[in-house]
Amino acid sequence: MVDTTAVSIDRLLGTKTRPAAEVRVVPWYIWCGVIAVSSSIIGGYWDISWHRSIGRDTFWTPAHVAIYLCGLLAGISSAYLILSVSLGKRHAAKESCVKVWGFHGPLGSFMSAWGGIAMLTSAPFDNWWHSAYGLDVEIVSPPHVLLIGGILAVQLGVLILILGCMNRTEGVSASRLSALFLYVGAMMVLLLQLLIMEYTWRGLLHSARAYRVISLAIPVVLIGVARAAKRRWATTIVTAIYTFFLLGQLWILPLFPAEPKLGPVYQKVTHLIPWDFPLLLLVPAVALDLLAPRVASWAAWTQAILFGSVFLITLVAVEWPVADFMMTPAARNWFFGAHYLEYNFHPSWKPYEFFRIERTPSDFWSGMAVALACAILSTRLGLAWSEWMQRVRR
Amino acid sequence: MRKTCSMWLFPFFLLLFTSSLSAHVGSPDVFYEGAAGPYRLMVTIRPPLVIPGVAEIEVVSASSELRELQITPLHLSGPGAQFAPTPDRLQKSSDASASFTGSLWLMEQGAWQVRIQAEGPRGQGELSVPVPAVAQQSLRMQKFLAVGLFILMLFLSVGAVSVVGASLREGQLEPGVAPGTFQIRRARLMMAATAVLLFASLFLARGWWNSIAQNYERRLYKLPQLSATLEPQGRLTLRLPDPGLWKGLQITGNPLIPDHNHLMHLFLVRLPELERFWHLHPEQMESAVFSQDLPAIPAGRYQIFADVVHRSGFPETMVTEIDLPYVPGKPLSGDDSAGVGRPLSQADRTANSSELFCGGRMVWERDSLSLKSRHASWFRFRVEDQAGRPVDDLEPYMGMAGHAVFLKTDRSVFAHVHPSGTPPMAMLALTERGATSQPDPHARHGKGVPAFGTVVSFPYGFPQPGEYRIFVQIKRVGRVQTGVFDVEVGL
Repeated sequence: MVDTTAVSIDRLLGTKTRPAAEVRVVPWYIWCGVIAVSSSIIGGYWDISWHRSIGRDTFWTPAHVAIYLCGLLAGISSAYLILSVSLGKRHAAKESCVKVWGFHGPLGSFMSAWGGIAMLTSAPFDNWWHSAYGLDVEIVSPPHVLLIGGILAVQLGVLILILGCMNRTEGVSASRLSALFLYVGAMMVLLLQLLIMEYTWRGLLHSARAYRVISLAIPVVLIGVARAAKRRWATTIVTAIYTFFLLGQLWILPLFPAEPKLGPVYQKVTHLIPWDFPLLLLVPAVALDLLAPRVASWAAWTQAILFGSVFLITLVAVEWPVADFMMTPAARNWFFGAHYLEYNFHPSWKPYEFFRIERTPSDFWSGMAVALACAILSTRLGLAWSEWMQRVRR
Repeated sequence: MRKTCSMWLFPFFLLLFTSSLSAHVGSPDVFYEGAAGPYRLMVTIRPPLVIPGVAEIEVVSASSELRELQITPLHLSGPGAQFAPTPDRLQKSSDASASFTGSLWLMEQGAWQVRIQAEGPRGQGELSVPVPAVAQQSLRMQKFLAVGLFILMLFLSVGAVSVVGASLREGQLEPGVAPGTFQIRRARLMMAATAVLLFASLFLARGWWNSIAQNYERRLYKLPQLSATLEPQGRLTLRLPDPGLWKGLQITGNPLIPDHNHLMHLFLVRLPELERFWHLHPEQMESAVFSQDLPAIPAGRYQIFADVVHRSGFPETMVTEIDLPYVPGKPLSGDDSAGVGRPLSQADRTANSSELFCGGRMVWERDSLSLKSRHASWFRFRVEDQAGRPVDDLEPYMGMAGHAVFLKTDRSVFAHVHPSGTPPMAMLALTERGATSQPDPHARHGKGVPAFGTVVSFPYGFPQPGEYRIFVQIKRVGRVQTGVFDVEVGL
């Protein structure tokens, strides 16, 4: 089988002449996409750390530049790809693409371009938001949701770009594309983690609300990406990248000196404060990968019930005692990082006690029941999404 | 287009009214004159209209030898007053004047202090200036930005629908295969579903935005309204408003602290001519109830301004109006005082002197007849005896060389100012003693004031153009005397 899209587009751009099955080089636009999504995730977590340690920022902080570089890179590379194909005279290239508003290009490039424009739109919107309602201290605000939606679209676009090649390629090239596909999937999980981090702080991990939020956001991507990759241990690989990234920021960021530039300062800070120890998504991921081959022939909804339940039960089983551990002095070291408190952590707040979100056991168990339903629904959506992705050809 | 735009965007861009500011009315800027070690500084701080937001700082030194000024924001009291963030350096003006400018973020509402560290050939010095910070308004989106964002929203919405259509029409076909009827129909169906979903999402987002805007509006500082009633025997009872949300924020609603040994400074001005003026000090009867035996007062309508300072250091001016009958009243006692000026309708805005009732006069040493708004300057008043000779026998009135009230004739601006500036003395006490000790009600008395001589001066800047009346109170031969001046302030 021949990587027609890659070959046609690369021929058009004058970079390749051989069929993809023989090609060992991943197309440049996929690398652009991978760099873009990496930049956004590194920038995102860097920005969170910046706000926890230094506080004050401008549009031109390195973290912001890294975030918006994603939109710029994805937007420009996608636009170049689309215009090259649309304005080119190679009929074969156009036949390998989809058509939007008279322009031809790979489906993923249109998604990435859309995401890039959404991200850049969020910049003036966010700037005005600060002027109108003050500098944001919350992650979830309308301009931030637009920004995160844009990054998600870029990530989705890059996934589809990779899929467009991967689904028509075999051998070494397919294997490399599959690895990149899982990497981008992990970036997507990291982005969702960033979106829900206000609900999954360690002090909230004995509440049903935290598990409800995790169950809603994570399985859809985990299952969707892992199934579409058609690779053994795909879920484990995605969560391993997620864990490695978060451990990296936990261990590396504190090596850099930083001081608060905003008051009030309640905690003395001398270095960058990272985000918390990662959620142990690795454990449910291993369980799901062990189960997947055994139930591959089951109906989608049955699989969703099984996978959703296993995801939630294994996550709670491991996260609950680990959250207990994170409250102890034994976790207050560089490895677990429980002692890192942002500069504006008020002395009256209790960093080593759990917040009781649900007031009664009944509230808690009904919340957990909803979490189970969310996990099943999210898993089912992931299965449907993976089926769709596996059929993507352009 | 215009209609659709307004449907989506206009509700979010409501201009929320602003009329209220803590510690004074309509006069948010802080003017303060003090010493940072060996250096005398005139400080102007313009707090932001939204919180968190950026305050603008301007510092003028009496001498040009000052090398560097650094500023740091801290809470006025509590744990936020212990650790300071990294200081910011003020920019020295390029000309020869010893003027420095800069800005800093105020992240929360409440009572703050800006700590200024000075460095020069005579060593280092430090000065803290209290700043009350409250969210005063939300912002209307500029038209070009609203239109631009609306166009982008349309573009992104239509683009999303089109990309979904393309993905279902052609995305799953092998290269070279043309979409069939099935793919086209399926794409159209999903495009319609996506459009509905997008519309619903935008509708929900609109509700979310409205909810955020409403929450923000609830947190805007509103001018507290007193309840005033006249009891038998000419006793005025004042009830403080429920602080509501602000109590939860630990800003107001907590116990009051004395300012010049008084929990409340009450200013009574007769309407509409502003020709009669009283500065009284009601007693606290309950935590939120104050009472005052009125002096002899002619019948009429009166404007009330009541200055208080909360335990947090946050100052407030509460207001109301009241119709009073003729009150025979009791003689003024203690620190209570009164003043009389010309009726407003006969005001002479070029006059620079005011007759004092015990003989003599007060002269306003004006540099110029034209004054501009938002411009910090010294207001200097010289007291002369009946023979026109400057007097040097001024006595402290509540510890100060004088008290001044700057009142806009439409009453949208009221500021009670001391020779050291606009911050109440109780706030200044907190900057010196911190939250853990009892504040000194006479903190910095005399520190911002040269030895009481012939002139009393006040640093201030009018917040907006218009007509103002200035009441200046000094004490001499055991009696408080009030000079009254009128001025027109331009842009």
